[in-house]
Amino acid sequence: MRTPLVVLVTALVVSACAVDTASPARAAERFHAALSAHQEEAACGMLARKTADKLPDPGQTCADALRELRLGPGGRVTEVSVWGQEAQVRLAGDTLFLHRFTDGWRIKAAGCEPVRDLPYDCEVDD
Amino acid sequence: MRWLKENSLALAFLIMFLLAVGGQAVAGMMEFNDQQLAEGAEPVSLLHYVASSAYAVNVAENWQSEYLQFFLFIMLTVWLVQKGSPESKQPHMAGAESDKDQQIGRYAGDHSPRWARARGFRLWLFSNSLGLVMGTIFLLSWLAQSVAGQAAYNAERLGDLRDPVSWGSYITSPEFWDRSLQNWQSELLAVLSMVVLSIYLRQRGSPESKPVGAAHTATGVEG
Repeated sequence: MRTPLVVLVTALVVSACAVDTASPARAAERFHAALSAHQEEAACGMLARKTADKLPDPGQTCADALRELRLGPGGRVTEVSVWGQEAQVRLAGDTLFLHRFTDGWRIKAAGCEPVRDLPYDCEVDD
Repeated sequence: MRWLKENSLALAFLIMFLLAVGGQAVAGMMEFNDQQLAEGAEPVSLLHYVASSAYAVNVAENWQSEYLQFFLFIMLTVWLVQKGSPESKQPHMAGAESDKDQQIGRYAGDHSPRWARARGFRLWLFSNSLGLVMGTIFLLSWLAQSVAGQAAYNAERLGDLRDPVSWGSYITSPEFWDRSLQNWQSELLAVLSMVVLSIYLRQRGSPESKPVGAAHTATGVEG
């Protein structure tokens, strides 16, 4: 009688604690895939709204701004950290920061370089 | 009705606790959502907030300090005394006291708990059960604070475009110790105030106070 209860509780605890790292990793890969395919409009659609609003200079579209930045290739995923609604995805050629919205993970910052003990210096951020 | 009266102290604190912890959840969610909107993120539901590390760390950091306070008070008052305080024993009683004073073993009465009549480990465990339970709850709450605190801290760091930190780094970070010490200092000051003020001040009818007419030098007398 007790065994199913233990299994159920364990399953609930494990599922509650399991962190989904695949979704932010996929979002980061899709963003870089869109950039590589010169689909900047699509890449802009993957940005968090605050980031997309901040990116273009006056008179410029988000896609123009992304095109101008010429972010390098992302490459394969090397590490994913997810804490709460925030994630960091390290690719071989880039580090991205993402936020989880109700419609899924969106890119908050990309083209990021580490700065010792300080926030990353990002080409695209909010 | 009689049951309610005989348990009114515990019930009153239980009701106040539930109201306070619920109020903390609502107020915390509103503050959290205010921050979320400022950062371009979406507001969260109450259920989502109470399951978050942000709420958990705020609850746990207060719990650990309260249980630490009572654990220290229970344990230190075995050996340390304060002349004139109703919170202290008489100075000559300092220590674990005799079996006769503690009504254990062959000195246990008919109504003594069964484990007070026992010997060996069971008697030791029961003799120290209050301190052990309070100390264990303190350690578990502090552990919970460190785990939830790391999660909340890392979410904040990622939001600020910084690398997350390990649990080991978190428990040696200023953030963890700031949260811990700011709670400890207030608890320790409250106990100090209680021990010292109750030497000279009275609250008529309260067992936490000496009787109003008791001398300032009277120690271990409760009204």
